[in-house]
Amino acid sequence: MSARLAPAAPLARAVVCTAACLVPRGQRAEWRAEWQAELWHVAAVASRRAHGAGSAGPLTFSLGALRDAGCLRWHHLRSRPPLPRGSAERCGLALALFAASGLLLCSCLPGAREALLPIHPGYPADLVLIASQSASGQPWPTLPVADYREWKSDTGRLFSQMAYVRPAVRDIYLPRHRPVRLSLALATQNLFAVLHLPEARSAAGARLILSDAAWRRDYRADPSIFGHTADIDGEPVVIAGVLPQRAWHLQGSPQAWLLDDQLLFEASPPQARGLVLARIRDAAFPAPRGGAWLMTETRAAVQWSYLCISMRSLGVQPTFNFLMVLLLACLALPATTALPLGDYPRHRDRLPPAVTARRWVFLAMKFLFVPAGVYFWSLALAYGPGFAGSTAILVQMAASFPLLLLAIRWILQDQRRRCPICLRRLSNPARVGQASCNFLSWSGTELFCSQGHGLLYIPELPTSWFSTQRWLCLDSSWLCLFPERQTTSPEIV
Amino acid sequence: MAPMPADPKLSHTAAMILQAIHIGCIYGFSVMEMTGLPSGTVYPALRRLERDGLIVSKWEQAAIAEAEQRPPRKYYRVTRTGRSTLAAMVQRYPLLERMIPSPEMERA
Repeated sequence: MSARLAPAAPLARAVVCTAACLVPRGQRAEWRAEWQAELWHVAAVASRRAHGAGSAGPLTFSLGALRDAGCLRWHHLRSRPPLPRGSAERCGLALALFAASGLLLCSCLPGAREALLPIHPGYPADLVLIASQSASGQPWPTLPVADYREWKSDTGRLFSQMAYVRPAVRDIYLPRHRPVRLSLALATQNLFAVLHLPEARSAAGARLILSDAAWRRDYRADPSIFGHTADIDGEPVVIAGVLPQRAWHLQGSPQAWLLDDQLLFEASPPQARGLVLARIRDAAFPAPRGGAWLMTETRAAVQWSYLCISMRSLGVQPTFNFLMVLLLACLALPATTALPLGDYPRHRDRLPPAVTARRWVFLAMKFLFVPAGVYFWSLALAYGPGFAGSTAILVQMAASFPLLLLAIRWILQDQRRRCPICLRRLSNPARVGQASCNFLSWSGTELFCSQGHGLLYIPELPTSWFSTQRWLCLDSSWLCLFPERQTTSPEIV
Repeated sequence: MAPMPADPKLSHTAAMILQAIHIGCIYGFSVMEMTGLPSGTVYPALRRLERDGLIVSKWEQAAIAEAEQRPPRKYYRVTRTGRSTLAAMVQRYPLLERMIPSPEMERA
């Protein structure tokens, strides 16, 4: 059939083939044959009509296949019986929902969203944030302006460009607009150049860059304000532009950036603190691959220490912290539960490889979704309410460690309590034997698979001859005892 | 095949498609051409109508298609239930027969 398709239809045919993947397996072959036959006729009609006027082209026609396949899949899903309790599919669905809800929550909370996404992929590798040593590694505004001016002259051989930024709140008066009070970032003229951010160049002098949100909210997205002069503390400031959304990833969320060296230094009281951003000079010292390092400087016989933090490392910090906690949880895991998944008889020749692989895929799926969900929820807990710096890190680690420990423990215990063939939770636990007779006979708990695949024996006390749980496969002669058995359940050959 | 409700209610679009099949547009593409509906509407509607027992589908004989050097097509036919439903729908949507006139009406 494919050889007879009109040459103009390969793309349309590809669309039909792609849509066929959505169709339930039992109906797929017939559905595909019908669509391909119809497509052949559509292509033939389109080629007969010179300009295709009045008829849909093959590609437009084939797009309907996507909707048709989607409808069939939807109907198939709706007509399916509900997933049985304890089935692997139900468990996987619940875990996927857990991870997806965490991701959704993270994307809704601005703080968590910023922590989740990379800080700024365009930041150069030699861009560092400099804070005082007492900042415990966090990019908090800790350097006074006076330090910055001396420091700039002393470290000129190390850094090619330096910018200073500190938070402030100012009233902005603009003709024909009501006065607005904005939280500003007072910064040196070169702030955006150092950060590699887009910047509107205008005449020399103080420039005000508005955040996208402030421009829309306070000035109703009025494009005519650009180039106009506003009044801030009696100083004329030119409104130079708007910073796009999500372009600023440093601490805080300023509503505007006031770029002017003179204003910054004159208006800053001695106790005001700010951040220093610097670019490492070529060949001054090897640019660190990430993380933070300590820089010591001797000035007037006093040793000063500063913490330099690579800007690229800031974005991965929550992920790195989480991975550290994951490692700690894995190390602590043997203290809470046994690690082996149980003793299963070697019946490779009797179990189809697909059934064996399914069990391991299910375990891998749990190890994928559960830590991912814990990661998203820990980010939402730590960064969602507005915590920042070391508090956020502490909250994230404190929340994720017990969650991870419990979650991994549950993953292993859940895997041990499932039938290795149909992956359903084993049911009907029955105590067998007496613990007081442990040296004479076996005692423990016995569970069985409701589909009749086998029995699981869990010893009450691990002994040298029965140290871990054992699985016993039942052959087909036992099937009459399991009326709930489903025909779709995997069979032991 | 799902049991058909006693009082079937079809949308105007589904009734148009049923009427098109009734007058002899037996392939999905010909239904599209007759009704002017897109493929993404016609084919899902055909599945629904077939599920409700108003139409049945059948593959044409491979020999006929081979003789004409084309792939075999699936064609649709209105069932007895479909015909009675269509009669009810014509009462409900009086413009239906004017939009897609049946041969009897054209002759009249």
